[in-house]
Amino acid sequence: MKRALRLAAAATVFVLIAAACSKSTTPSTSGGSSKPGNGQKIGMVYDLAGRGDKSFNDSAYIGLTKASHDFNIQVKDLTPSASGQGRQALMRLLATDGYPLIFGNGFAFDADIAAVAKDYPNIKFAETDGGVADLTSSSNLVMNDFAANEGSFLVGAAAALTSKSGKVGFIGGVDVGLIHSFQAGFEAGAKQVNPSIQVDVKYLTAPPNFTGFSDPAKGKEAALGMFGSGDDVIFHAAGGSGAGLFDAAKEYSTTNSVKVWAIGVDSDQYLTAPAEDQPYILTSMIKRVDVSVYDTIKDFIDGKFMGGYRTFGLKSGAIDYATSGGFVDSIKSQLDDLKQKIISGAITVPTS
Amino acid sequence: MKEIAARRLPTDRRGRLVRAAMLMVLVLLALSFVRLVTHASDLTSSGTFSATLRVSIPILLAALGGLYAERAGVVNIGLEGMMILGTWFGAWAGWHWGPWTGVLVGVMGGAAGGLLHAVATVTFGIDHIVSGVAINILAAGATRFLSVVAYTNVSGAGITQSPHVNGTIGELTLPVLAGGRFFGLKTPDFLGWLERQHWFFVSDLGALGKGLTAQVSLLTLLAVALIPLTYWLLWRTPFGLRLRSVGEHPMAAESLGVPVYTMKYIAVTISGALAGLGGVFLVLEEAGIYREGQVGGRGFIGLAALIFGNWRPGGVVVGAGLFGYSDALQLRSNTSIHGLLLFIAIAAAAVGLWFLIRSRVTTGVAAVVVASLVFWWFAGTKAVPDEFISITPYVVTLLVLAVAAQRLRPPAADGRPYRKGQAQ
Repeated sequence: MKRALRLAAAATVFVLIAAACSKSTTPSTSGGSSKPGNGQKIGMVYDLAGRGDKSFNDSAYIGLTKASHDFNIQVKDLTPSASGQGRQALMRLLATDGYPLIFGNGFAFDADIAAVAKDYPNIKFAETDGGVADLTSSSNLVMNDFAANEGSFLVGAAAALTSKSGKVGFIGGVDVGLIHSFQAGFEAGAKQVNPSIQVDVKYLTAPPNFTGFSDPAKGKEAALGMFGSGDDVIFHAAGGSGAGLFDAAKEYSTTNSVKVWAIGVDSDQYLTAPAEDQPYILTSMIKRVDVSVYDTIKDFIDGKFMGGYRTFGLKSGAIDYATSGGFVDSIKSQLDDLKQKIISGAITVPTS
Repeated sequence: MKEIAARRLPTDRRGRLVRAAMLMVLVLLALSFVRLVTHASDLTSSGTFSATLRVSIPILLAALGGLYAERAGVVNIGLEGMMILGTWFGAWAGWHWGPWTGVLVGVMGGAAGGLLHAVATVTFGIDHIVSGVAINILAAGATRFLSVVAYTNVSGAGITQSPHVNGTIGELTLPVLAGGRFFGLKTPDFLGWLERQHWFFVSDLGALGKGLTAQVSLLTLLAVALIPLTYWLLWRTPFGLRLRSVGEHPMAAESLGVPVYTMKYIAVTISGALAGLGGVFLVLEEAGIYREGQVGGRGFIGLAALIFGNWRPGGVVVGAGLFGYSDALQLRSNTSIHGLLLFIAIAAAAVGLWFLIRSRVTTGVAAVVVASLVFWWFAGTKAVPDEFISITPYVVTLLVLAVAAQRLRPPAADGRPYRKGQAQ
């Protein structure tokens, strides 16, 4: 009995360790001496969904891969376990391994990356979507934030221009500040082109329950409820739960002989959606994490790394809307007009 | 004596069914009243009822799985992990060979998890909770590892997500009543018409009928059919009697020649298979993909529904349905939750009165106090704060459990390790 228990405990520990660092890849190592970079090691820790999420983390991976082609660097990327344990451990692993620049990809890294950055003052850290307070340009930590509200504004305008019912919907994964800025931008964009439009809002879960980012069933039922109440375009900022929205748009359209639309987030989700869902994906709000990752690596190699806060918006091309499928072709001129107004400052998009 | 008991049993059962049906009617009447007062039409829309069905099924299947295991005396806290195995294997096989193969392989994946639990708890006598927790952790880690192996170079997939499962499982819509096709001919949608009239009670009944008979997936039908099947198997066959005796008094069962270990093995493996089917349902009906973290605690909710249901199939259905209804409602419509407050106030008041009539003063007064507090909340506000809405199903389940928990009786030997030939 005692021995069996001990065996079970050992097995559990083993599985925990295996799950915590189940995947590490080295995309490519370029040794060309003509490229800048002195073969420096760049580390990346992804957020929960990890590589292959077809979205946020894959985008970071693209930036990392591009940098490893252009510069003489070695890169290593790691994914924490599903429960998110091990974020800090993985970053410390890279730090003790002598990685001079380490990325934490996602807002959930706030506390962990701040702690590790404090313990390793000679290593530079960068967090995507981060919200660590009180940083200065001389800090060894930079927050790479995105003006997601600007992109959401554009897809909000696209939704309002496409809607026939005068009602559109927003599904947020988890009720947190970061997602509020998506909602604020979406609402402002929709109201910009149609002041009388009604925007329904649903958050799938509230913290500390973060399953709202990974539960397609919740996304689907919430979307079916919104479609049923008359919304005909829904924008999601719900990570993996978004798959449920696409499924719902297809199902609702086919069983009720009407056309309802879904809008994707973070990457051009038309490209990764299954063919049967593609006709229902109007556009996507694109957030190019790869741009921020690449720029940060480039600055680091050029010796221009600065701590503090950086915001990537429409202007830098890191935020945009997708045109795949051609469903927004007829309203593209209006959207681009709004885009120019935001870039020039004629329109200020709210963040909450 | 024996004769009397035999004669009384069916009458008792019929009485119980009649009481349950009357309670259902009362609940629907109250909901209908609340809908008229608050204009929260989603409270009794066919969309909500059909969502309730879909949201309940995974929880129901997990709970039925738990029923088999715990009736045989093995606590199965590993249901969550077995569901996770079901989602992964269901999606993987579904992607390769189509949805029905996915169902089969997903069920086998869950059953493998159950078998592991049986080996640990029955053969090695490990504490049931320890083994169950280990299986939950193992399933999460194993599926991550398997995704790395299976999906690394697959487009549209990755270490946390499977490719899309192509093809569907098929669905049925009742002809004439719910507007389904009959030999290719379109038939009228009588229940849908009834729902659109917005009459008191009648329309709500129509919506309920339509919600439960329109676009019902074959997998849903399979799951629903498992409820009477489980009841028959466990309470009406010698096999079921043996299985339950193992959970009540394994020593006595062994002395009568029941193969205790074998029965436990069978029960726990079935348990895993059913949980796996619940996972497959999540993949095929609600997402089309496997997604890490997709199960999201439904295995544990299923376990709660099992306890709520007093380890009986009928009770399990009510538990899963209650949770499914409140979850579907909060996902579909924020405004309906405000209307639900009024319903809770009415229900609590009714329960309070019932207790007071039965002269159980303390409980009765407590229920009436709850009723007036909830009513005060309903009357004094226009909406429920967003932070509360997503926890509605948990609050409702807790509330009802608080009332129902007074009469629960788990199987007598539930959770106790059993060694062959041990003396009492």
